[in-house]
Amino acid sequence: MLTVAADRLRDELTLALGPGGVLTAPEDLAAYAFDAYSDARLPVAAALPRDAHEVAAVVRIARAHGEPIVARGAGTGLCGGAVPVTGGVVLSLARMNRILSLDARNRIARVQPGVINLDLSRAAAPDGLFFGPDPSSQRISMLGGNAATNAGGPHAFAYGSMSAHVIGLEFVDEAGDITWVTIDDAGYDITGVLVGSEGTLGILTALELRLLRTPRAVRVCVAAFDGVEAASECVSSIVAAGIAATALEIMDRTIVRAVEAHYRAGYPQEAGAVLLVEVAGESPDVEASERAIAALARDCGTLAWRSASSAREREALWAARKGAAGALGRIAPNYYIQDATVPRTRLPQAIARVEAIAREHRLPVGNVFHAGDGNLHPLLIFDRREQRQLDAVVAAGHDILAACIDLGGTISGEHGIGYEKRETLPLVFSADDIATMERLRGAFDPARGFNPDKIFPSGAVCGEVRTPSPTLSHA
Amino acid sequence: MSAKLYALGTHLPGDVETPATLAELAALLRACNETGRAAVLFGGRTLQGLGAVPKRYDVAIDCTRLDRVIEHEPRDLTIALEAGCRVATLDAVLAACGQFVPLDAPRAAAATIGGTLASGWLGPRRATYGRARDFVIGTIVALADGTIAKAGGMVVKNVTGYDLSKLYVGSLGTLAAIGQANFKTLPLPSVRRLAVAPLPEGSRARTTANIAALATEPAAALIVTGFAKEIDAPSGVDGCLVLLLEGSERTVDAATRELRSALGAAGVPQTRLIDREAGFAFARVLDAYVETLGSRSMTYRSLGLPSDTTPRIDAFARVARANRLTLETIEDVRTGDVIARLSARLVADFATRAKLFDGERRTALAEARILVAPEKLRAGLDAWGAPAASLPLMRTLKSRFDPNGTLAPGRYVGGI
Ligand SMILES: Cc1cc2nc3c(=O)[nH]c(=O)nc-3n(C[C@H](O)[C@H](O)[C@H](O)COP(=O)(O)OP(=O)(O)OC[C@H]3O[C@@H](n4cnc5c(N)ncnc54)[C@H](O)[C@@H]3O)c2cc1C
Repeated sequence: MLTVAADRLRDELTLALGPGGVLTAPEDLAAYAFDAYSDARLPVAAALPRDAHEVAAVVRIARAHGEPIVARGAGTGLCGGAVPVTGGVVLSLARMNRILSLDARNRIARVQPGVINLDLSRAAAPDGLFFGPDPSSQRISMLGGNAATNAGGPHAFAYGSMSAHVIGLEFVDEAGDITWVTIDDAGYDITGVLVGSEGTLGILTALELRLLRTPRAVRVCVAAFDGVEAASECVSSIVAAGIAATALEIMDRTIVRAVEAHYRAGYPQEAGAVLLVEVAGESPDVEASERAIAALARDCGTLAWRSASSAREREALWAARKGAAGALGRIAPNYYIQDATVPRTRLPQAIARVEAIAREHRLPVGNVFHAGDGNLHPLLIFDRREQRQLDAVVAAGHDILAACIDLGGTISGEHGIGYEKRETLPLVFSADDIATMERLRGAFDPARGFNPDKIFPSGAVCGEVRTPSPTLSHA
Repeated sequence: MSAKLYALGTHLPGDVETPATLAELAALLRACNETGRAAVLFGGRTLQGLGAVPKRYDVAIDCTRLDRVIEHEPRDLTIALEAGCRVATLDAVLAACGQFVPLDAPRAAAATIGGTLASGWLGPRRATYGRARDFVIGTIVALADGTIAKAGGMVVKNVTGYDLSKLYVGSLGTLAAIGQANFKTLPLPSVRRLAVAPLPEGSRARTTANIAALATEPAAALIVTGFAKEIDAPSGVDGCLVLLLEGSERTVDAATRELRSALGAAGVPQTRLIDREAGFAFARVLDAYVETLGSRSMTYRSLGLPSDTTPRIDAFARVARANRLTLETIEDVRTGDVIARLSARLVADFATRAKLFDGERRTALAEARILVAPEKLRAGLDAWGAPAASLPLMRTLKSRFDPNGTLAPGRYVGGI
């Protein structure tokens, strides 16, 4: 963008939002050039609206200037979704962070998109309620970002991902108009398609969310196995037996050691892999499920079984699990987290393939993942200062995705396509499938002003777009 | 096939087609699209009264020959079927391996998967298990121009590309023809028990409150008033509570004890428990949602919060009284749905009263929509209620997916 035009855009934004609502200095903009996957260009400006009307103003101004609009929550996304790849205006929802209402009788919360995920469950707890989706980033990621990515997390196994919990929303469209939609509207499920649209269809400015009742009894257990394959085998058999667990998470030795170094939660460090099992519900059922799962674990050759004896111990096990990526970040120079899903019976095979691919590319790998859903997260460890490793990590990531597709799976279970996987999309979908998705996009945003460089393959578009590569190494 | 079976409003289709494969279905649509003929998709014809009467209607496409189970891996808890499969087939195939998908479709033996999804059917157990849309993990559709397009896949967690399945569910065959649907399944609860209790006069409000406070939530809780033929139980002055408990034997037994004392405290003395026939009895209640009294009844669904069912039922009652129609209702304590069936004793009286009723309810019950109405009256009724704020966007969507208006033009919201 030409300097004069950029100055005019910044002036107009400042006029609309006030000086506190717009950042333009390069040192300030640096914080808006990256997410947890990569960095790219500095945006022309970062706008921090306080309400939907200000969001609408930002959309209109950016549109008038022909500048792309990149929505941003907390920037914890793992696929480059919030990265302004070709510049433009970053629209941060961070200042819209109020819980608007909490209706305990009907179990519904209305929130602004900048509310931190965990804060909602905290606010609902006195009423005996909680919010189901709990991405491991829940202490920092925002509900708007969670909705835009259709985030999952360990409890998606029992409660489903975001889309099963967003029952209505307010959004600002490409014309700068503000609309409320709910899943009960007569007509097409606009709510359903906006969830998971990764900022490419509109800006979410409020959410209406379903809350769940806090279960009366909860048990958390840890089973040790000699390897990830055996642990995965156990998960497959628990799922196949129809036992109602609320979370089934696996960590391999690399991850357990990283986690224990930091959290000392009591995971067995000698085992090749551990399985974290949570069962919740009515107390007699919970006990019966725990016994049934323990028996299956024995059949799958568990080395040890431990049941957390107190709420404190349970929380410690969970805190360590949810902090796994961060803990690895403390000991690895860099890591690249992949996200793919396979049918659950294929988990052991998928894990074997991942390990073979990592060996082939001479990269250490850690595995920490939502096993109950067949959702893998191999973490490839590398040093970005070494070109060979950087190349290897990108190639290995690709091979892992191809292997998962080969097993009947797909290339993202919860993190999204974003910038990272846009060129991989055609491995899963035909040109007709993608063209059909484009019809949806065309109905919302024909000019492609919202997050234009995401989800869809770049196709014939040329120009010197810098390819970001994974840089993640923070907590 | 007799064209009469496929009459809509006063239209009869010129042709009835029965494709046996997705490719045939797509080719038919393409042919209609190229020759400017309007096509309406048919499943089990259990919900064909949903929506307005199409503006144009040349070809009926009956999808019931698309009835294959495509892929079923019980250990993955997933299943893929063609859209013409009956819901009862899905239920049976899954029950054989201890699983289910909570679609709660009325008339499950006739209803098809495709029709149930396209109609956006909402059942009472969604408060416990989630909506049909949340169980759809993938679809294959044919667009009006014959394009075959896939969305989602066979994995239970998937954010690869847009979730277009959400768009097709509830689109009533106006955007695309659903050819195949993939579901994730749930383990079947080991015990189902239906508790049926007539509510004595004055006990309703307390019953509702006490049920909402139950520690073990029922899978469904309905208060039925009327529907004597469908609900095989004596009704109290305040209606009849029909409550479904599902879970392990221990949990259901504990829930039963808790329920009895909650009902006792609400002044409800007798509760009948149905165990062996619980599934059958519950299915009859679901059938009541769309059961007609010939051409002298119509049924609405009003969606809302569990806390505001009473004012909506009162509004139905007021407008019914003013127009001398009999009102029967199903109040869903957990989801907030109100199902209202209006009838007259004589067919001859019904048409005028129904039209007046429908006109008046547009203010008091703007949100309510019609589930079933006599075919001949439908053109004069407001099938959809007040349009949503997103109507202009819906029109744009229609024009992107079906620019020629081949798929049931005029049937959808706002004349789409
Ligand atoms: C340590 C760690 C653990 C994680 N664990 C999980 C996990 O368990 N499960 C999981 O699903 N993810 C996980 N993630 C990924 C990430 O946290 C999620 O994708 C999260 O939902 C992103 O939220 P955010 O607020 O950070 O959004 P951002 O990263 O800021 O944005 C994500 C995408 O949403 C768009 N967007 C944001 N807000 C809006 C809005 N209001 N309107 C429209 N578009 C918007 C952006 O443009 C972008 O495309 C993890 C990430 C980290 C770093």
